[in-house]
Amino acid sequence: MDDKEKIDDINKLIDSELINFTRELDNVKSLSELESIKTKYTGKKSFLTVTLRNIGSLPGQLRPIIGNKSNAARKKIEADILKKEQILKGVEYEKKLREENIDLSLPGRGIKAGKKNIISSVIEEIEEIFIGMGFEIAEGPEVETDYYNFEALNTPADHPARSLHDTFFVSDRVLLRTHTSPVQIRYMEKNKPPIFIIVPGKVYRRDYDVTHTPMFTQIEGLVVDKGINFGNLKWTIETFAYEIFGKKRKVRFRPHYFPFTEPSAEVDVSCNICGGKGCRSCSGSGWLEILGAGMVDPNLYKFVGYDPEEVSGFAFGMGIERICMLKYGIDDLRLFFENDLRFIDQF
Amino acid sequence: MKVTLNWIKEFLDNYNQNTISPGDIANMLTMSGTEVKKIENTGSKYENIIIGKIVDFTKHPSADKLSLCKVDTGTRIASIVCGAKNFKKGDIVVTALPGAVVNGMTIKENKIRGQISEGMMCSEMELGLSSDSEGIMILDNSFRVGESFSKLAGLDDVVFELEVTPNRPDCLGVIGIAREISALTGIEFKIPEYDLDKRLNIDSNFIIEIEDYNLCPRYTAKIFENITNIQTPLWMRNRLLMCDIRSISLIVDLTNYIMLETGQPLHAFDKDLLHSNKIVVRRAKEGEKIKLIDDSMRILDNDILVIADEKKAVAIAGIMGGKDTEINPDTKNILLEAANFNGPSIMRTSKKIGLRSEASNRFEKKIDPLLTLYAVGRFEDVLNKITGYGIKGCIYDNYKKTERKRNIVLRTDRVVQILGKDIDKNTISRIFTGLKIENRIRDKEIDTIVPSWRYEDLEREIDLIEEIARIYGYDKFDSIPTTVTGRRGKYTGYQKVVREIRQSLCDTGLSEVINYSFYSNDTIKKFKLDLEKEYSDNVEIINPINENFRYLRTTLLPSLLKNVRENINHNIKDIGIFEISKIFKKRSDEDNDILPLEINKIGIILTGKRVQKSWNEEERDTDFYDLKGILEFIYDKYYSNSILKIEESDYKFFHPRINGSIRINGKKMGIIGKIHPLLVMEAEINQDVYYMELNLDDFVNNIRKGKKYKPITSFPAIDIDLAIVVDEEIKNDDIVNEIKKCGSSLLKNVRLFDIYRGPQIEKNKKSMAYSLNFREDSRTLKDIEVEIIVKRILENLGKKFNAKIRE
Ligand SMILES: [Zn+2]
Repeated sequence: MDDKEKIDDINKLIDSELINFTRELDNVKSLSELESIKTKYTGKKSFLTVTLRNIGSLPGQLRPIIGNKSNAARKKIEADILKKEQILKGVEYEKKLREENIDLSLPGRGIKAGKKNIISSVIEEIEEIFIGMGFEIAEGPEVETDYYNFEALNTPADHPARSLHDTFFVSDRVLLRTHTSPVQIRYMEKNKPPIFIIVPGKVYRRDYDVTHTPMFTQIEGLVVDKGINFGNLKWTIETFAYEIFGKKRKVRFRPHYFPFTEPSAEVDVSCNICGGKGCRSCSGSGWLEILGAGMVDPNLYKFVGYDPEEVSGFAFGMGIERICMLKYGIDDLRLFFENDLRFIDQF
Repeated sequence: MKVTLNWIKEFLDNYNQNTISPGDIANMLTMSGTEVKKIENTGSKYENIIIGKIVDFTKHPSADKLSLCKVDTGTRIASIVCGAKNFKKGDIVVTALPGAVVNGMTIKENKIRGQISEGMMCSEMELGLSSDSEGIMILDNSFRVGESFSKLAGLDDVVFELEVTPNRPDCLGVIGIAREISALTGIEFKIPEYDLDKRLNIDSNFIIEIEDYNLCPRYTAKIFENITNIQTPLWMRNRLLMCDIRSISLIVDLTNYIMLETGQPLHAFDKDLLHSNKIVVRRAKEGEKIKLIDDSMRILDNDILVIADEKKAVAIAGIMGGKDTEINPDTKNILLEAANFNGPSIMRTSKKIGLRSEASNRFEKKIDPLLTLYAVGRFEDVLNKITGYGIKGCIYDNYKKTERKRNIVLRTDRVVQILGKDIDKNTISRIFTGLKIENRIRDKEIDTIVPSWRYEDLEREIDLIEEIARIYGYDKFDSIPTTVTGRRGKYTGYQKVVREIRQSLCDTGLSEVINYSFYSNDTIKKFKLDLEKEYSDNVEIINPINENFRYLRTTLLPSLLKNVRENINHNIKDIGIFEISKIFKKRSDEDNDILPLEINKIGIILTGKRVQKSWNEEERDTDFYDLKGILEFIYDKYYSNSILKIEESDYKFFHPRINGSIRINGKKMGIIGKIHPLLVMEAEINQDVYYMELNLDDFVNNIRKGKKYKPITSFPAIDIDLAIVVDEEIKNDDIVNEIKKCGSSLLKNVRLFDIYRGPQIEKNKKSMAYSLNFREDSRTLKDIEVEIIVKRILENLGKKFNAKIRE
């Protein structure tokens, strides 16, 4: 055999080794299969390793040729194996991740949210509406003097309107406030116009039946400044009513009587159940009363040292429980103070 | 108050129901301040009920108790089976024809025991006119056969239920309402006029003595002799009925009728039962007794005004008449009273004796004294029309005249200032004229004179402006935005924090409750609040609804415990709730303030499972540290570089050992503990309950303002873990304080991470493991520095607490 033949023989063997390798590599599906192929083609007993190990027995002039060819083949095999290994590793990693299977529908580890009382929520909602219109929040004592609760609000001892307020007394002159209106006087005593306040708070009346609780919640509003008029009152109340009940509701002002406002009004919104046609909820009128309002009676300014010719203003007051009932369709006033969590946690 | 449309129409000229419907009237009244609560068409209840005449009847062939009647219904003769016995041939009866609804049942033609019945003859009860079910209703011959019953009986009417505001006593009668409608519609108002002046006090056979004209400005009376005692006409009975007044006798019905019509309460005495020809209006004697018409016995005092004869009180003025002199079936002669009493005085008496009547309701709103005479004239007129009594005799009138005309000047500028709309002078004048307010336009002013019946309520210019707005129509005023220049709406700092805390507490899983501010003396005793200085000094309500509303709360605890019990009753056992409310405490006399102390408090109560058993969690009962954790949660949010300390305390409502006061930076701000097991048991609760109460005012007002940024250091920290064994009694706080004391400024944080009790250490001892975090902000710490500090800490802990390092 001459050298050329010998080289051709070995080259053929190397080429077929490569073809075999490529075919077998294509069929490899796992890293363990790859490992055995790696051993077969690059291990101690592999054709290429043996060829290279025995290269010394070849004639000197053939050595570099065979050596280069073998090394190139081996490098290609190693590179292909590495490539394949990376692919297989990715697949296997993915497979391993896929085995980390959890039931996404199982409930999460509990963080229970408590609920704000519906009265607090609605108060805060109303506060935000009025803050947006430039109001501040004022507060005052729940135990009041006769002076602030009645007298300074144009309701002297013998006034017929007093019979509407059945009052809890602490002494002759001290009582539980029957409305949030005393804060009007207290605030005006301490501040000068412009006054734009609302006053949320508890009030008390000596009345306890299906439609009355001895304590309930009111929000009072007071605006006093130069040039405040009945049109401003209408705008403010309408803006509030649309915000809280929705733009689709109609709002109407009916004349009424309160001792400390003049002219006075009761304000209704159209019934959402019948759309104003009249139903049981609105006792057939199509309207639901939401609040009382009016222009501040000029007499009040005399109690706090304002000049009634100089300034004018309006006031309004509403029962929060009533607003809640209308807004959420609650039909029993007593629910508000029974503190049944089946009620509280609904809101 | 109820009024009927037909009644109102008597005082309106040419009212045409076709141009202005009852619904329009209701709407106009509502939109002018007299709210119509309800409209009821009474006529519709009596459809197909007509006047019939029994032309013949025979016994029912197969039922002894029934009769077969032939009834003329105007168009034909109907056969009707009837069970009543009280009729005879020729009687006029009320006949319900098929289609009529009687007692909620629709009448149909049917067979009764084999005999055809084409309708039903009705009793008063069946017609809803009275409780009389004895026999069918027999009418007199004036009722025309075949006509609609409701029309002839005055039932074809519309009833308005009104809410008259307390400033409008003039509207407490049909005439007043008619006057309003006239002002609103322009329909002419007319009332019968009586010329009574020339019959005033023309003899002195009867004397009226008034002790105090302030209490009784006017007393008008008339004697009617030999009254014909006939039944009240059906139309009048029905009209009273529609206004919710029961018919009693002609005279009593007439007094009620005239009151409903004019607004002037009337009272009739049996003149022969009075002991004198003299009436005295005087204050009652202390302890004087009177039996009233409602059969109640009243003991009077000096503040109560009575009507008396020479012997005794015969009525409580303005409220109710006496039993002894009331109209009875034998009454022949009556004394009619139409008086005017002082409103506030009537109101006080009515409150004091707990009795309100149609009369007192009107008097307390200050009715027009000019009304008395008119009411007497009207009574006489109606009586005469019914019985032919005649228009005659003296009217006794004791009246201390006062001015009842008032001049008010209205400035048109002021109208614009208040109402925001420039209303034309002539429009204003027309409104006034409609309201019978005399007026004269002068340049920029209108001079007015208000009528007597509006004297009390129209006093000032502003009152006239209200009248303009009311009649002009509130809906005709534009909405005008208020300007916002120079002001900004906002919460105060305090308000903001309170609202944040409320939200934070909800975020920890608590729900918010709101309780009444009251509790009972029993509760005070049960919780031993009277023995705690902090929780005594309850404010007492002198007129509570019942004993549960006797005192104002000094703590929210009892209410919250009650909430727990009630929710457990509803099978909700794992509860975390809070309340933010005021508590009230009487002030000491030196405070010189008649109002009590009001403090905002947060009460938090926890009970039941804090962690529910779940697929991935073990259940756990609430303990003290859950509650303390909530405290720390809100504390951390607002207090940095501060000291929170729970100090052992001895509140009687708490467990003797799980019983603490909350101090922040040394200031006492609340209490925290486990509710005493006996109290919990007494409330029928079978689980531990933990309670905390925080003084919200103190908590918020002591938050330090002005936080400042500290640069973040990049030098590494050294963490050292330290486990020591100490006696069981040694408190964590004391150990931590000692560690901090020795730790120098390099010790930044101490965290307890384990407590161990068990076989590896001695009995009655515990191992406490702390993680200490050291850092120097300006350089890298050396290990040796920290080792020295830790050594010092251990030495000191050893000396102070006999602590040994755990190997
Ligand atoms: Zn409705």
